[in-house]
Amino acid sequence: MTVFTLSARPGQDTAGQPAPVRWRGMLWVTWRQQRAALVSVAILLGAAVIFLVVEGRQTRHDYAAALACRGGFAACQAVGNRFYGTDWHAAIAATAAMQAIPVLLAMFTGPSVLAREFENGTFRYTWTQGIGRVRWTVAKLTLLAAALTAVTAALGQLYDWFYAPFLSAKNTPWYTATVLDTHGIVFAAWTLAAFCVGAFLGMLFRRILPAMAATLGVYAGLAVATYAELRKNYPVALVTSNASLFASPNPTRDSPWIVRTWESGGTQWWRYIPESRSWPMQVFEAGWLLVLSLLLIAGTLWLVRRHAT
Amino acid sequence: MTVLTMPAQPAAQDTPALRPLPWHRMAWVTWRQHRATLISVAAVFAALATFLLIAGADIHHNYAVLLACHDGCGALNAHFNETDWHLANGVNIMMDGGVAFIGAFVGAPLLAREIETGTYRYAWTQAFGRERWTIAKLVLLGTTIAVLAWALSQVFDWFFQPMVPQEDMTILTATVFDTHGIVFAFWALAAFTIGAFAGMLVRRIVPAMAITLVAYLALSLVAWDLRKYYPVAMVASIPNTPSTTTGTGGPIPFSMNAPWVLNTWNSGTTNWEKYIPVSRFWPMQLIESGWLLVLSAALVAATAWLVHRRAV
Repeated sequence: MTVFTLSARPGQDTAGQPAPVRWRGMLWVTWRQQRAALVSVAILLGAAVIFLVVEGRQTRHDYAAALACRGGFAACQAVGNRFYGTDWHAAIAATAAMQAIPVLLAMFTGPSVLAREFENGTFRYTWTQGIGRVRWTVAKLTLLAAALTAVTAALGQLYDWFYAPFLSAKNTPWYTATVLDTHGIVFAAWTLAAFCVGAFLGMLFRRILPAMAATLGVYAGLAVATYAELRKNYPVALVTSNASLFASPNPTRDSPWIVRTWESGGTQWWRYIPESRSWPMQVFEAGWLLVLSLLLIAGTLWLVRRHAT
Repeated sequence: MTVLTMPAQPAAQDTPALRPLPWHRMAWVTWRQHRATLISVAAVFAALATFLLIAGADIHHNYAVLLACHDGCGALNAHFNETDWHLANGVNIMMDGGVAFIGAFVGAPLLAREIETGTYRYAWTQAFGRERWTIAKLVLLGTTIAVLAWALSQVFDWFFQPMVPQEDMTILTATVFDTHGIVFAFWALAAFTIGAFAGMLVRRIVPAMAITLVAYLALSLVAWDLRKYYPVAMVASIPNTPSTTTGTGGPIPFSMNAPWVLNTWNSGTTNWEKYIPVSRFWPMQLIESGWLLVLSAALVAATAWLVHRRAV
């Protein structure tokens, strides 16, 4: 039941229309209710940022030294060992951590928003405030999603900067899954989608632990499906029978990604994605993740409206 | 307050010994309270094992074809190194990291849920006594988790077996060592006890889960470094370091039987090398399982001590 501010003399006061509670109030409420989670996320990501900055500067220094070394094999091996040994191991660890960050952030923030209210029974209080349950949910989810997306977008950019020397040194193809996942807007989109999955499952199960486990499972399934199948089928591929494009046997950074190859009428055909299409691929992936997030938010709101109190 | 059965006429009968309830009663209690968790863990492991069996049959077949190929094997090789290796490596990394989630989802809520919901006021005031209740639960659940994890790791060992020779790894490589032999079960046990301890320390479920994940990550990084110091290393002078492929010595070509070289140094005219041969795999597994078991037992004791201290 929503409570509106009504004027005491409806016929005579000019401000007779009932005014709903302003959206701005939810900013304070979201902070108060989620501040533990938000502060923890800020601390952990802050530590990650410090690590990336410090290690990134060291890596660039080592890479420059390794490139400039002219002293012969023995002397340059020690210099190269720092870049190809220590720094590379740190980069592997950072890559693994980046893969885990979207789902961990979502697991710990998404389900708690709604499932915690149900587990503790406090939904009876929060949903009967002046703002009404649907607007309460919209405001909370939007604020948290916006905060997480902004923070992970920045982290993704920082990671791009950190990893850049290894892209050229190791000649990693642009279409490698770990490279595509963490570039530009894709990383933020995955975090947003994971958060929306968490929020939806939190409302569906109304219990925190099953929702967290289910978020992990759904995200893992979605990620594996994308790596294994979906990315190959993005509508950005080209078809050609020109074999000269695929002359070099070892993939380099700019090699085209061969999706499928078949023979027809005596000629060999390739369906491939050239490096120039990498940005359209990222936009497409961020796009469908955004659509998925909006659908999940809509589903969450529908469940919230349906729930009997 | 414990309630004991006393005879109505104490003097007329033999004085009954005041016996505490037998331990095996906790088996039923643990099952009733945690059957959802146990069934879920078993179901997830079973699903993963089924996937490993199906995908593993495929990988073994591809590897057999690759081994039998004598000519024009480039495409087969590339396909194996691309598709099959990425799948196997992905699963390996997931298993390595997934153990932390066992600790977070099974261990952390164990005690934290009782405290958060207030049901400890009932659970701890039964005839069994709260410390014995804690120890019984942790031991029962820990053993079950360890056994299930061991079974899963055996299936994974079979699944991953072609990758070790093919991808320039040995069984002493960190991520391979973690998931082979018996060590995986003990890591699962350690994760579970870390979770239980964190749950009792923090007394709230979600923060305990976060702490468990971080603590387990820190422990596994420490362990990877610690392996270099296990008392199994050998020292030999190059070119006397045994090579299993040439049999006589000389620089060791990399193979799946190549030793793990820890350190090389120069002393006068000879080059020395400190290394761990692959044959030391089982001693290393036993050492690691041993200290993980000691750590788990210490955490169980610490959890029981925290339970003992907390005022109801």
